[in-house]
Amino acid sequence: MVYFILSRIARAVITVALVVTFAFVVLRLSGDPALMIMGPEAPPEVLAAFRSAWGLDLPIWQQYFSYFGAIAQGELGRSMRDGRPAIELVLERIPSTLALTLPALAMKVGIGLPAGIYAALHRGGPIDRLVMTLAVAGFTVPSFVLGLVLVLVFSVMLGWLPSGGQDSWRHAILPVLTLGIGGAAILARFTRSAMLEVLGQPYMRTALAKGVPWHVAIRSHALPNAAIPTVTIIGFMVGTLIAGAVVVESVFSWPGVGRLLVVAVANRDLAVVQCILLLVAATMVASNLLVDFLYGYLDPRLRTGARAGAH
Amino acid sequence: MTDLAAPGAPASHQQPVRRRPTIPLGVALAIAWLIGMIVVALLADRITPYGVTAMDLKNRLALPGNTGHWLGTDELGRDVLSRLIASVRISLMIAFGATLISAFVGTLLGFLAAHLRGAFEQMVLMLADFQASMPFLIMALAVLAFFGSSLPTLIGLMGIYGWERYARISRGLAISAGQQGYAGAIRQLGATPARIYLRHILPNIASTLIVSMTLVFPEVILLESGLSFLGLGVQPPMTSLGNMVGYGREYLTRAPWIMLAPSLAIVVTTFAVSMLGDWLRDRLDPTLR
Repeated sequence: MVYFILSRIARAVITVALVVTFAFVVLRLSGDPALMIMGPEAPPEVLAAFRSAWGLDLPIWQQYFSYFGAIAQGELGRSMRDGRPAIELVLERIPSTLALTLPALAMKVGIGLPAGIYAALHRGGPIDRLVMTLAVAGFTVPSFVLGLVLVLVFSVMLGWLPSGGQDSWRHAILPVLTLGIGGAAILARFTRSAMLEVLGQPYMRTALAKGVPWHVAIRSHALPNAAIPTVTIIGFMVGTLIAGAVVVESVFSWPGVGRLLVVAVANRDLAVVQCILLLVAATMVASNLLVDFLYGYLDPRLRTGARAGAH
Repeated sequence: MTDLAAPGAPASHQQPVRRRPTIPLGVALAIAWLIGMIVVALLADRITPYGVTAMDLKNRLALPGNTGHWLGTDELGRDVLSRLIASVRISLMIAFGATLISAFVGTLLGFLAAHLRGAFEQMVLMLADFQASMPFLIMALAVLAFFGSSLPTLIGLMGIYGWERYARISRGLAISAGQQGYAGAIRQLGATPARIYLRHILPNIASTLIVSMTLVFPEVILLESGLSFLGLGVQPPMTSLGNMVGYGREYLTRAPWIMLAPSLAIVVTTFAVSMLGDWLRDRLDPTLR
């Protein structure tokens, strides 16, 4: 168990280090970071202060380590546009994004899980076919197309719901639906195939053969085993809570982190982009860790024989 | 030793002759659609009725279905069908280019990892884990913020997408092939590693790699059109399917066809490739999920 936890934490640390390395390499390849982060109009003494703060006058390998140091101290640069610390700009957008992604996550899990389980238990039935069709659609219809079609139907043609902005809870309905429908379909498909695989296992036959009632066998044998692959997908969805709405926020002019990122990329406001990149990496890593620990809880094999069962 | 291995080698090398399968109607339609799209992309210059930027100011926001403009015109009187054809070409070019790059890079890294093992293999696996765990859209946006968007940058960037899948597959299959008789036999005959990997192992795992390409290809189309929709991918005056949707969004109330035509092209194309991929997977490689 200790080995299991330590190996997962090591992997998380490596991932964060790789993201920071990625940001460092890209930043160095694209020109003078001081100019890039502080903007071309910054006064020379500010640039000099920035260069010495970030150690840009040092050899490259020392710069690499001081870059780590600066990020560890939370020095993420300032926005080119209004000079405010990038981290502030990003943090104040998070509640807006969560207002979309949390209900969407609830919708994905609330619809996707039961639909997937039901489809697997009634394989070949009408619900199963519906789930499979929607799952394919959820993959092939990009979110901006789905969002615009929803706007076309519910805002333009029917006039029921607003097409964009963030003035009331009604403005959130279409973006949440756009995020939720596709995700629910994907989760349903994964849950279905996980359930089908478990249902075909010998231990299910054994349980039924020794007289365990069908619903008990499902509840206490099939569901816990099918939970393991399903948790992976849900964990990935949790990891995209902050960054998963980039396109949808743009479709609905919703002022969240994703919209901020798109505007920052268009304006080449690098400090903000870098800050969001690191924040997203941190979220992904945290949710991956959470999933790994959940695995340990769900699958006793991982706790006792970590080496044998981990992969 | 050589005598023992030699009869085994051609047997596992040559696939048994397969019966020609009957192609399901859906798959046939998907193939027809894809061939149609490729022909349209290749002949784009010859078959566009109007120039991509040619304006017909008398016929602005014309409805689809009229004789001059089958799919109508946009706000500037540009022919939607012509722009659609040009967009299909750019989007398919990016998707093909990117898929080939990532398949090449991924397979190469996978083979190198299988051949060299040790630290290099660990590094490739670590990078693959990293790539799979980060949302690619965010990484792509970060790169575009630093370098700006141009067609080569975009193809190169999309070419990074999905490499880790080929790397994992080719590494795993190359390692298991190395333990099978045929690869050992050829090594004993004195073939160089490059020859073993390219002439003997690659043909044996090609079907699995091709199936993976059909999975990555539609995702690249969706990624590129997403970026272009946001205005951060293909830049005007060039146009891609995502650009057209992004532009058509402004005229959603008055001229929804501007946005619906490219949307339909994206959806049907990705659907057709997925369908073809599913069918190929069932036919060629029952072991892949």
